[in-house]
Formats: sequence, C-alpha cells, structure tokens
Amino acid sequence: MGEKNNFSKESLLLKPVAKYFRRKSFRWQREELPFYEHRVDLYGFSRVNELTIAVELKLYKWQRAFEQAILYQLCADHVYIAMPVNSIGRVDIDLLKTHGIGLLAIGNAGRCRQILGSEQSTVVCDNYKEIYVNILTNGEGHKW
Amino acid sequence: MVDPKVIIRMGSHAEKDYIEKTARYLDGIIVAANLFEATQGATASLLGKKLNKPYYIDPMTYAYGRNLDLIKSPQGKTGKSDFKRSYKELGDKLSLPFTSALQKNSRLTPKDFEDSLKVEESCKAVIEYQLNRIKESFDEDPEYKEYAAEIPNPEAIYAPYFYIEPDSPSAWLDLVLLLAKVSAGLEYKVPIHAIICTDEVMLEHNNFLSKIKKELPKTGVEGVWFWLSDFDELTSDVKRLKAFRSLVEDVSGEMEVYSLHGGYFSLSLCKYGLSGISHGVGYGEKKSVVPVQGAATPTVRYHLPDFHKRMGVPAIQRCFDGLKIKTPDDFHKKICDCVVCKGVVSKELSEFSLFGSMAYSTPISKRLAQTPAAAKRCRFHFLMNRIRERDELKKLDLAGILAKFESVEKKWSEQISVKNDMTHIRTWREALA
Repeated sequence: MGEKNNFSKESLLLKPVAKYFRRKSFRWQREELPFYEHRVDLYGFSRVNELTIAVELKLYKWQRAFEQAILYQLCADHVYIAMPVNSIGRVDIDLLKTHGIGLLAIGNAGRCRQILGSEQSTVVCDNYKEIYVNILTNGEGHKW
Repeated sequence: MVDPKVIIRMGSHAEKDYIEKTARYLDGIIVAANLFEATQGATASLLGKKLNKPYYIDPMTYAYGRNLDLIKSPQGKTGKSDFKRSYKELGDKLSLPFTSALQKNSRLTPKDFEDSLKVEESCKAVIEYQLNRIKESFDEDPEYKEYAAEIPNPEAIYAPYFYIEPDSPSAWLDLVLLLAKVSAGLEYKVPIHAIICTDEVMLEHNNFLSKIKKELPKTGVEGVWFWLSDFDELTSDVKRLKAFRSLVEDVSGEMEVYSLHGGYFSLSLCKYGLSGISHGVGYGEKKSVVPVQGAATPTVRYHLPDFHKRMGVPAIQRCFDGLKIKTPDDFHKKICDCVVCKGVVSKELSEFSLFGSMAYSTPISKRLAQTPAAAKRCRFHFLMNRIRERDELKKLDLAGILAKFESVEKKWSEQISVKNDMTHIRTWREALA
C-alpha cells in the first residue's frame, strides 16, 4: 500500500471527475449507469463532438478498475480510470496505454489531472452508445 | 472408457419446460424428494408418464443430519419459523428416525443408528419411498390411477446418506458405509447406489479417500455418487482435482461412479471411468450442503463452449474484434453454432447481447435483473451445449481432450477481457494429463 489517501470512499472521487469532464464539454452525465452486471461510475456525453466517456473510479485496486474499463470500451468512445493521486504510482501505465485506457489523478485538494489520455475505442458498439445517449438526453441524466 | 451420462436435476417445476423440450437428448432426470413432496402430483406425472426417461429420486436424508434450522422457514400468518412442509411430509414418509428428529427438533447423528434393527427399518423405508412414491401418487389421483401399475422403477435407488463432517469424518463415513451395506443387502430388484457427501477439503485427506476406495466396494452397492460440498471445478487446484480423478479411477473399477453436482471436468473423467454427472438447468455444477436462503434469483450467464463455463456477455463480446468475429457467421464458427445461438444471433452480431438483456423486474425495483427471455436463451443454450459436450467426449480420447484444451488456450490467450476466466483450462489440462 502507498500513502494514505484523503478520500475515504470512491464516491468522493465523483465530484471532481464530473467537474473535470464538464469542463471538457461532457455536459450530459449520469452516475452509476448499469451495463449488464456492472455499473459505470460516471458516463458522459458531449453534444459538441458526439462522443461518450465512461469512467471507473477506484481508491486502490487499479487491476479491478482495468478489468471493468476494458468492458466499458464496448459502450463508450473513451474510457478512463480515475484514482487518488497517491494511488497512481501502483498503476501499470503501459498496460493502460496498450489498451487505450486513460488515467486521471485526483489530488488531495480535489483537483483532477490527466495522467494518460484515452484513445478512441475500436470496439464501441453503436447500439449500446445510442441507448445510453438516449438515456442521458431524455431525462435520466443530468445536464450541466 | 465409459460413455458418460448427463442427468438433469430438476430444481423447481418452473424448469419443466426445459426438461420436456430437451428430454430426448438427456440420459435421465433426478428430483430431490423434498421437491417431490412440495409438488407431488405434477412431479409424479412428469417422471412417471410424460418424460419416459430414466429417473432418480434423491431422498435428501442428509438434511435431517444437519442443523435443522436449515430446513425451516417462516410459516403461516404468524411467520413463526418451523419446518418446511415438504421436509415434514418427507420425514413422515421416511418414518423413524427421521420423524423423531423433527419431533424432537434434534438433528440425527451416528448415535441414532446404533440399533441394527432400526438401521434395517430405516434403509427399507428410504428405499421403498423411492420405489413407490410415484406409484402412490398415481393411485391417489383418479385421472392417473389406471397407469400406476405401469410406472417404471427408478434407474437406481439411493441408500440413506448423510453429510460426512470434516471434523468427525470417521463416525459419519462408517454410518454412510453401514447404511449402504444394509441397503444393498436387502436385495431389491433395483440397483442400490450410495451417495458420498462430504466437504471438498476431504480431497486432501488420503486416509479418508483410501478408506472409501477400500470399504465402499465391500458394501455391495452397484454405484456411488460423489458430492463434495462447495467443490468448484472451475476454481479448484490441481491437487484436489487430481485427488478426485484418482478417487473416480479407483472406485470405478468396482462400480458405477457419478458426480452428483458436476460440470465439464467431471464429465471428462469418463476417460477415467466416470459414468455420468448431474446438475441443474444452467446452474448446480457445484453445490453446498448449506442451502442458499433468501438470495435474489441468480443471473444465468452465457455458457462459453470453449471454456465450458458461464460468463457475462460483455467479457465475451469484448473479444469479438480480437478474434475477428465480424458477422453472425463468424460467431457461429468461432463461438457457438447451437440451434439457440443460430436463432438468436441471426441477422446482426449485436444480437448476442440478447443473452444478457436486463430490465427492472418491477416498477419499484432498484436493481436491474436479467429478463426471463434472456435467462431462457441462456438455459437452453447451456443444455444444448452440455449435450454436445457429452457427445463429443464419447468420441474423443484423452489426448484429444488435452489437445482441445491447448488449442482453446492458444485461441483466447490474447483476449484481455477473459484472461482471468480461463485459468481453469490449464489446471484441468494438468489434472487430466
């Protein structure tokens, strides 16, 4: 284990990450979006570029986040793992890079910073994306 | 080498449709006696007339030797905890000492079988229950009464059995062996089989296994069904799998050997003498002696034929690109071409998601649950594949099975989303080699 995080639970990571993506034009957002047996911690849609993002939040277990992120590439154009900055050191950045998954670090003051950019998913399925964009834009998501 | 049998264990009457539609491909049906008592008319007509397949009735005697709270549930308007009606009625039918266990609210132990006369009476009652229960049920029903005499006997009759507890295995094993011996000695015209039910941890106890190998054949039973509580073929290690293989190999020289709650690994032990497996319709390839209580309906996942394992839809779908699966045709060639998959994935590859469809089951549900239609697709697909696996194993020799495992590892090795789901293939390869 690395240094102790200021974040006691995953949900505390949500606010800074949601704010970060709002700044990046992903103004339609939904938390805990079900994807089969999983729940995408944050799913977002940008009208500006017609792109979607899925974010998996984790305090420590980046491998588990990676397993989920790989699956979310089926339903989002870009997928990120977001972790407290103190946990980032343990992450296998090369593995994430190989699979096009982005990484965000959340500082103790709640500021979110991109460590690794995400690549456009090559396996995103239009049917999933359409369903989720509809959910977000037809009243079940938040528009900011 | 034995041609292995696949015997389906009916878990509830809701599964009747699956069993009726696939019955012609199956080798038999097994029903737990408590389920029979809960739904006796319907089960009797299904087993005794409609299916026309070999059948078995698991007498469930072990439940009376466990913590009796496990067979209780809230009853009536008061909601007071009491014995489930099915176990009460079964206890009455099995007579002493089962009835007295319920009356005294005290579980059975080896001490309850110290009187040899009582042991014989008890064995007779358990055997006759299995032999006559369906006939009795037909006799009680004016519509079916005329068929009562034509009801076939069960394929085999189980001797009473109990869970051999790991903290006192000798006393319980001695009792189970005694009950098997006495039952076999009663000379009914139907083969008598034993059930050896214990914890999977006992696979590491050589003395215990040696005793079974040595003493079981002396009982005179014609078959044995192994049930290792919580033994999961998919996560178990090579040591335990090899111990199970050795148990099957050694005992099968003397009698028929079955796995009561087994999957593909057990089935492949037909190359070491196993006669068959039983499991439920899309579940039950492992089972704990502690029943699941009050849990939500489990999701029936997609049985991935290459892995002989049920998995979530997205983990498989994530591999399509890497495996160069672009069309339904590719899917049928590389994943599954059973009749169910050909029907579901027919126009577009994305139709594969129909195996995982989820919805809110009620307007107030907070969690998504698998839709009944998706569960049905997965169950039928599983049954069709299990039948195919059985038929393939009849043709393959051991080298062929191992070669197939090797090619599966090669095919999927680069697929990151299933990396952790295929470790059992290597373990099985080592355990079977």
